[in-house]
Amino acid sequence: MGCASSLPDRSSGQLGVINSDSNGSTDAKSLRVKLVLLGDSGVGKSCIVLRFVRGQFDPTSKVTIGASFLSQTIALQDSTTVKFEIWDTAGQERYAALAPLYYRGAAVGVIVYDITSPESFNKAQYWVKELQKHGSPDIVLALVGNKADLHESREVTAQDGIDYAEKNGMFFIETSAKTADNINHLFQEIGKRLPRQQPEPST
Amino acid sequence: MAENSFNFHHTLHHHGSRDSYGFVLRPQQLQRYGEYIHIYKEEEEERSQKWKIFLEQQENLDQPEEQVANQEVLQVETTTESREEAGSEGRRDNDDASVSSSHSNTSKEQNRSEESTEGAQLLGQSEKKVQYNEGPQEVHSTERPQEEVQCVEGPRKEVLYVEDPEVKVQKTKEEPVKLPEEEVQPPEASGVPSETPEELHVSEEGEKKDLSKTSKAGKVPYWGQIRPSLKVIERLMSSRVHEQHHVKDKKSDRNGGDQLPVIEEDVSVEEEPDDGVEEESNVKDHVDDKVNEGRDERKVEDEPSLEPFLHWNQELEFLVHGGVPKDLRGEVWQAFVGAKARRVEKYYEDLLAEEANADESNDDNNTGVPEKWRKQIEKDIPRTFPGHPALDEHGRDSLRRILIAYARHNPSVGYCQAMNYFAGLLLLLMPEENAFWTFVGIIDDYFDGYYTEEMIESQVDQLVFEELMHEIFPRLVGHLEFMGVQVAWVSGPWFLSIFINMLPWESVLRIWDVLLFEGNRVMLFRTAFALMELYGPALLTTKDAGDAVTLLQSLAGSTFDSSQLVLTACVGFLAITEARLVELRDKHRVSVLEAMEERSRQGKVWKDSKSLATKLYSFKHDTGRDGRSSEGDNSLSGSASTFDDFLCGLSSDAELDCLPDLQDQVVWLKVELCRLLEEKRSAILRAEELETALMEMVKQDNRRELSAKIEKLEQEMYGLRRALAEKKEQEAAMLEVLMRVEQEQKITEEARVIAEKEAAAQRREFDSLREKYDEAMGLIAQMEKRVVMAESMLEATAQYQSGQTKAQFVEPPGAVRNQSTTGENTGRGIGRLTFGLGWRDKGKGRPEAGDGNTGGAADT
Repeated sequence: MGCASSLPDRSSGQLGVINSDSNGSTDAKSLRVKLVLLGDSGVGKSCIVLRFVRGQFDPTSKVTIGASFLSQTIALQDSTTVKFEIWDTAGQERYAALAPLYYRGAAVGVIVYDITSPESFNKAQYWVKELQKHGSPDIVLALVGNKADLHESREVTAQDGIDYAEKNGMFFIETSAKTADNINHLFQEIGKRLPRQQPEPST
Repeated sequence: MAENSFNFHHTLHHHGSRDSYGFVLRPQQLQRYGEYIHIYKEEEEERSQKWKIFLEQQENLDQPEEQVANQEVLQVETTTESREEAGSEGRRDNDDASVSSSHSNTSKEQNRSEESTEGAQLLGQSEKKVQYNEGPQEVHSTERPQEEVQCVEGPRKEVLYVEDPEVKVQKTKEEPVKLPEEEVQPPEASGVPSETPEELHVSEEGEKKDLSKTSKAGKVPYWGQIRPSLKVIERLMSSRVHEQHHVKDKKSDRNGGDQLPVIEEDVSVEEEPDDGVEEESNVKDHVDDKVNEGRDERKVEDEPSLEPFLHWNQELEFLVHGGVPKDLRGEVWQAFVGAKARRVEKYYEDLLAEEANADESNDDNNTGVPEKWRKQIEKDIPRTFPGHPALDEHGRDSLRRILIAYARHNPSVGYCQAMNYFAGLLLLLMPEENAFWTFVGIIDDYFDGYYTEEMIESQVDQLVFEELMHEIFPRLVGHLEFMGVQVAWVSGPWFLSIFINMLPWESVLRIWDVLLFEGNRVMLFRTAFALMELYGPALLTTKDAGDAVTLLQSLAGSTFDSSQLVLTACVGFLAITEARLVELRDKHRVSVLEAMEERSRQGKVWKDSKSLATKLYSFKHDTGRDGRSSEGDNSLSGSASTFDDFLCGLSSDAELDCLPDLQDQVVWLKVELCRLLEEKRSAILRAEELETALMEMVKQDNRRELSAKIEKLEQEMYGLRRALAEKKEQEAAMLEVLMRVEQEQKITEEARVIAEKEAAAQRREFDSLREKYDEAMGLIAQMEKRVVMAESMLEATAQYQSGQTKAQFVEPPGAVRNQSTTGENTGRGIGRLTFGLGWRDKGKGRPEAGDGNTGGAADT
């Protein structure tokens, strides 16, 4: 896989209690969440994951073949811990045939585009539709405009992203894996939006 | 050792550490790699020895003439090797490919000198090649004189490198800490031709790139022959290519033009004996022997089922399982895939020339590589083994050329992510055109249907793998499924990347060795099973999906024990055969095709809407720009649709400027209006046409769907039919049993009848016996009566006798005598009777008996 396995100390041990429910929508104390990253090739999906899980950024990252897996646990403000099981998928169009394998049963779908590429924004919209149609019914969707550091060559306005996300009931954010801007924030926000079994305000 | 020092050099170059192949090592695996370096080295030495012996044997058996030369090759090999190992040189990665090539060059040079003196030795390959073009392919080459020149140039440059090993070793000894960037300098920069052939080829490409801007025909991508000692392998392994070759002949027709199939045949068959053919023109003495030998070889090739071949194949298989030596790997792989047999002269070059043409004319509408592939290739090239010393700017150009040429060669695949890694890996081991043909072999043959737009075979393989996993590791699969892990999540990327980036490089290469040797995808499955076998126990201890996947990924990533892995794969899973896989694939393909059609039906809607949107978008833009003309049109023809405006927008714009006055303009506009209306009408017609075409297509689609359904139904029918047959069989069996039971019943019935008869008979007998008994009893009663009578008679007689005796004294003796005899007679009869009935009336008869006795005693 394009990205290596996560470091052992990160992936295990931090989380004492693990829910057996793979959709991760149970216990308020600790959640286990399957998250899938989708989006056009080269928009920086792997880089976002690497930044989030290892805090690294490699400008010359490898092409992801098929999909790659990493996991990371974070604590929310309400002291809930969320373990993200992240499937980072290959971006090329034809790999879409394999995508259902990875987004099936995912509780979170993160759809990434590159703010310097309108084409990747189009592709993002395709993925949104695909997940709305074939994803889990209560899937939490996030639209991410990556490479926000390249604002001088921006071609998709933030407003376009906001509008589209609003229309589809998604969470929207612009990030930069290079500068680490908004990366942790993205996952924190996703954590907050996860459905809890106990009726809690999911703000 | 070399590997160690190499790592150090590259820490300067890149922040991560690299292994002996120049690939990045993950920081957490550095230590384990360090532990295995020594094992790798030992294994490498051992296998170099084995291969050397093997190849020597083959030559001795096969081509006694070449023996001398090849022994020299091998000697050079070993000496250089030892030097390399002794001197800590830091360019191992490039050498993997280059050392081998330069060895063969060395042998060529030596051969050449020998030829000049003795006139009876083998020719250098460079000469061979040139003469080859002049000889059998004369027509071909005269048609393209430039090619000939290039061919001469190519190999001659190669000859320049003959002195290489010496120079290079010295050089590396002097400058052990040398950055790879420096090494890959263009040859003009360094006076001494000390570059490896790969570098040469890279720099050559650099020159060509410049050339290509001016003339497209001047390109001759580098093609290198493999060393003669491997020709045996090449020839025998290539035999499996020939069948598929005809297809390619057809493909290449459009490039090669006339007679290609014939020439191709020549190439594939006569390559081996080309030594002989060469010498024909040079060395008269050996001509006959050589040619004869060549013919014999051809015969051998025609009959691959020969006994020695089998033995040879087994031996080779054993060697391959043990790994191919680094310096032979590139060439051995070519031999396995049959790069040479696949090669069509000028084909690669033409593909690249076409590409250059397309670039110039900027039309990518007809046969060109679609923009999306080109873009994707551009995106992926810098992300292929990023930072690898050999993949600098020139290396990347080679990579780009291979990928683009392949996309042209096989548009049904085009470009798929993962292919960049394969081409990159091959480029590290062999010259560009060799890499291209090897690549073609792998993608077109070994992985046919794997990387196409729908990736059908790849999905099928995953289903097959899952089924086999259920069969082989039921407990592990059960555990994984319980945690919600699908095996294909992990195995999918394994298969698609042929383990590149998934396992340590040593293991990847060892797997490729076997995979390329076997010529199918069995090794993928076996390796995946071996990994499951090795790491299954650990996986069984995991408690959630994330941990399981993480563990499997990291364990696989640290499978440094490549020999254990290959051995487990090849010995442990012999039951996984190509035949078995083919069968299972056929079984699972139906469901994949169905799912795909489902998808494509949905996807089409989206794509259509998207393309419509882009059309509208561009239309808006254009009308904005040509606003002036459109407005005029609109004012005159309200009925004309905006689409029509757009269609004529561009043309009318140009004409509008040259109109002299309003009058003319009005006239012109009228004409224009008519034209527009006409166009509109035709457009409507066209739309209708398109609609019917679309309907047709939809119908066809339905048909395809239906045929898939029919296929499925047929399969079901087949299943049902089989079930029916089974049922019938069961019925027959039941009937048989029933019959038997009936028969038995009949027999028992008969037995019963018989028994009854017997019983009746017995009863009758019994009755008769009873009758007899009664009779007997009656008789007895009669007898008793008679006895009583007799007794009374006896008594009477006794009384009479006593009366007689009293009277005897008076009677004469004669009378007495008469009397006594009668008395005697009756007495005797009575005695007999008394005796006979004595048992019946013992109690009462005693006095009578006493009487009788007295009577008897009186008698006597």
